[in-house]
Amino acid sequence: MSSALLTFDQVAIHLGGREILSPTSFAVARGEFVSIIGPSGCGKTTLLRAAAGFLVPSGGVVRRHEQPVTRPSREVAFVFQDYGRALLPWRTVQGNVSLALEAAGVSPAQRPGRIAKVLDTVGLSAHADKFPAQLSGGMQQRVQIARCLAQEPELMMMDEPFGALDAMTRESLQDEVSRLVRSTGLTVLFVTHDLEEAIYLSDRVIALRANPTVAKPSLAAMVEVNIPQPPDQLLTKEHPEFLRLRRELYGFLGHH
Amino acid sequence: MHAIAARLRPLVFPALVLGSLEWYTRTTGQGSDALAPPSQAVLAFGRALLSRGDDSVLQATFFTLGSAGLGLLLGALLGISLGILLGLSRRAAAMGFLSIEVLRPIPSVALIPLAMLVFGFGYRMEISVVAFATFWPMLILTQAAVQQVEPCLLEVSQALGLSPWARTTQIVLPALVPRLFVALRLGVAIALVVAVTVEIAANPSGMGYALMISQQSLAPDLMLAWLFWIGVVGYAINVAALQLQRGVARRMGDLTGGRPP
Repeated sequence: MSSALLTFDQVAIHLGGREILSPTSFAVARGEFVSIIGPSGCGKTTLLRAAAGFLVPSGGVVRRHEQPVTRPSREVAFVFQDYGRALLPWRTVQGNVSLALEAAGVSPAQRPGRIAKVLDTVGLSAHADKFPAQLSGGMQQRVQIARCLAQEPELMMMDEPFGALDAMTRESLQDEVSRLVRSTGLTVLFVTHDLEEAIYLSDRVIALRANPTVAKPSLAAMVEVNIPQPPDQLLTKEHPEFLRLRRELYGFLGHH
Repeated sequence: MHAIAARLRPLVFPALVLGSLEWYTRTTGQGSDALAPPSQAVLAFGRALLSRGDDSVLQATFFTLGSAGLGLLLGALLGISLGILLGLSRRAAAMGFLSIEVLRPIPSVALIPLAMLVFGFGYRMEISVVAFATFWPMLILTQAAVQQVEPCLLEVSQALGLSPWARTTQIVLPALVPRLFVALRLGVAIALVVAVTVEIAANPSGMGYALMISQQSLAPDLMLAWLFWIGVVGYAINVAALQLQRGVARRMGDLTGGRPP
């Protein structure tokens, strides 16, 4: 797979003497949207953190562009689940987005234009001067996504980004992220415990299992999603293929 | 009418104390060497306020506040910088641990003889002792505060690729501000106490020295006046620090304002 942007080569992770992730291999192609699902404690967030370079695997290697990933890179954006902790409470919305540009060494003269552009993309133009505490949860998560977009990454890691939001907000943000990713050609690795969200957004879904053994490794299933794009909250979720995948993957979330 | 009564309530107790002191010193305790009627203390303070000599109120206040302020500034700058370093680097904390634990328990007042030998009388000696006294709480509180900075923010800075300098100035320092204010208000109190102590014990300037001189020249009215004045100055500084804290908090997006601890 020469077009692979990110490859997991027999990656295993032990934390506190316990095997969280048994040797796991898969590859993510450029422009692909891959979701990772599984019950709590199956190591999906740990896997994502290893992919982003926040932790080094105990075995195997994660490669990006054939190079081993050993630490976080500006090319890889990370959307944290807890937006309340990931935003700088003392900076306004545009100040938070600006942080990514400051880190990338963008000159002060160029910053306002680029900030305005990403804020427009996520629909926050009217709130540029507000502080995070003045925004709803969904808007705060948009700010974090805007900051990640300002980073101009090739790969975006999302760790249960909509887990803490109400159903209405979650659906509108799903559609927004879907539209955004398809228009920018971003590659996304997306962790969620919501099976429907995974099928709805992804090109491919990877299911992990908790407490892996030799006979039953972490990687439980990997399925391609072939449902007409762009997704639609009603049509997609009634599509026979959607229902078939939902049934196929349901058992991997701890239901029996 | 109720509003006025509510505003006057905090003044009832001081008025009672002053009234009974005035009554006592003019009856039973007449001619006391330790106490004087508050009314006479007010007059003595008025004379000191108008005087142009070394005992002038403005000059003494300026000296004490100047030394306390500069000493605190020095102690805070050094304490905060070292506290951030020790908080961020486990290796630096391990290296500094023994030296800090040995030096920290030295009472700052015990440094007066050394400071007098090195700097002689005057500003520099007092500033050095105040800086020593305020350095330790600033250091310890900053170090503890750095370790409580939201870990997620440090990961954000890693993911964005911020330089170590930018991480310190844009993430760690702003995150410290609320706790630094607590440290700073503690430091203000310590600085004033130590400055006045140095003046009472050694340095022939400032409010502490004026207090000593009025005691030695058997002028209880002037002594009480100075005591009261030092209290007023301390109160004013605390109010100013609180206002500053609220102002900064408002600028940094904390819309509730700094709550007084």
